[in-house]
Amino acid sequence: MISTQINETALVNQAQNGDRNAYGELVRTHSQGVLNVVYRMCGNKHLAEDAAQEAFIQAWLKLSSYQPRASFRSWLYRIAVNSAIDMLRKEKRILPDAVEDYFLMDPSPGPESMLASTERAELVRKAIVTLPDASRAVLVLREYEGLSYQEIAETIDIPIGTVMSRLNYARKLLKEKLKMHLFSYAEAEHV
Amino acid sequence: MSDHILEQLGPYLDGELHGKSLQKVKLHLTECITCQEEYTSLENLSATLQEAPLPDFPSPEDFASDLALLLPRKPALPIREKALEFGWWLAPIGLIAIWMFISTTNLVSGAITFANSLGVLNDTSTWLVSGSAPETYWSAALGQFGFLSGNNLQIAEMAEAITRITIPQIVWQVSLATLYLSWMAIWWARHERQGLGQALES
Ligand SMILES: [Zn+2]
Repeated sequence: MISTQINETALVNQAQNGDRNAYGELVRTHSQGVLNVVYRMCGNKHLAEDAAQEAFIQAWLKLSSYQPRASFRSWLYRIAVNSAIDMLRKEKRILPDAVEDYFLMDPSPGPESMLASTERAELVRKAIVTLPDASRAVLVLREYEGLSYQEIAETIDIPIGTVMSRLNYARKLLKEKLKMHLFSYAEAEHV
Repeated sequence: MSDHILEQLGPYLDGELHGKSLQKVKLHLTECITCQEEYTSLENLSATLQEAPLPDFPSPEDFASDLALLLPRKPALPIREKALEFGWWLAPIGLIAIWMFISTTNLVSGAITFANSLGVLNDTSTWLVSGSAPETYWSAALGQFGFLSGNNLQIAEMAEAITRITIPQIVWQVSLATLYLSWMAIWWARHERQGLGQALES
C-alpha cells in the first residue's frame, strides 16, 4: 500500500494543513496504542473509548502546536494520558468512590484461596487505577507500552531521574497492594 | 558486602542500565539474597501486570471512521498563526490606505501650491507647502552658463519641475502597485494549491 510508505512526518504535515485523510491514517496507526494507554490508565472499557476519542479530537485541534522535535507518538500519548486522567476525574465526580471503594472493600482472599486469572486481572486493573496519576502514567507507559525511560521523559515532559523514581514508587505501591495475590500467584507457579 | 542496590533493580529490569552501573548490579545480584528477592518480586509484578488482558476494542478502521464524524472541520490555528493570518488579509487594505493617503496629500499640496501661485493664500500659509515649490537647480545652472536662455530656459525649468514632482510619484505608485500585485499573486497561488488539495482529498 502506498499510504504505509508515506512516512509519519509527511502525514503529520498534511494533517496540520487540514488534511483529514492524512489524520485518519495517523488515527488508524495509533488507535490501538492510545486505547491501551487510556484503558490501563482508567481501567474501564467505556471510559477508555471515550478518553481515546477525546484524545484524538484534542490532538486534531492542537495539531498545529505539534513540533517534530518529539515523536508524534510521544506527543499523542501525552494528550491521551491527560485525557484519561480527566475522564476518570469526571467519572469520579459523577460516581464518587465507585472505582476505589470497589477495590478497597474487596474481601481480601488469603493466600490459601487461589484466585482465578480473571479475578487476578481484575485486582491488578483496580490496583493500577488507585495509583497516583503521575506514577500511574509512568508505569502504564513502561509496563504496557514498553516505552524507554527517554521516551517516557519526552512524553510526560519530566527528567529521566523523575521517570525512574516515579516508576520505583509505582512498583512499590503495587507490590504492597497486590502482596497477597502476588504471593499466592508466585506459589502457584512453583507448586 | 556493598550497600543494596534496590533503586537500581527497576532500571535493570527495564534494560535501562549500561556499562559500569550494569556490571555493578549484575555482580551485586550474584552475591546478595535480599536484592535477588527484590528483583524476583519485580519480575513477578511485571508478569502479573502483563497477565491482565485488554478488552475488545473497535478495530483501527472502525475507530477511525467513528472518529471522523466527530472531528471539527479544520484544526484550529494557534494565536500566533491567527495574528499572521489576520495581518496577511490586512496587507492589501493597508496598501490601499497608504496609496489613498499619499494621493490625498499630493492633491492637497498641489491645490495649495496652485492657490499660492495665484496669490489666494497669504505668506503665512506657505509653511503648508514648504518644499512644494519645485526646485530647478539644473535648469538654472544651465541658464547661468548660457546654455539655455529665454523660452528654452523656461521650458527646461518647467520640464525639470514636473520631473521632480512626478518621478517620485511614479516610483511610489509603481512600488505600491507591485506590492499589491505580488499579494494577489501569492493569494492566487495559495488558493490554487488549496483547491488542488481538496480535489485530491475527495
Ligand atoms: Zn543487596
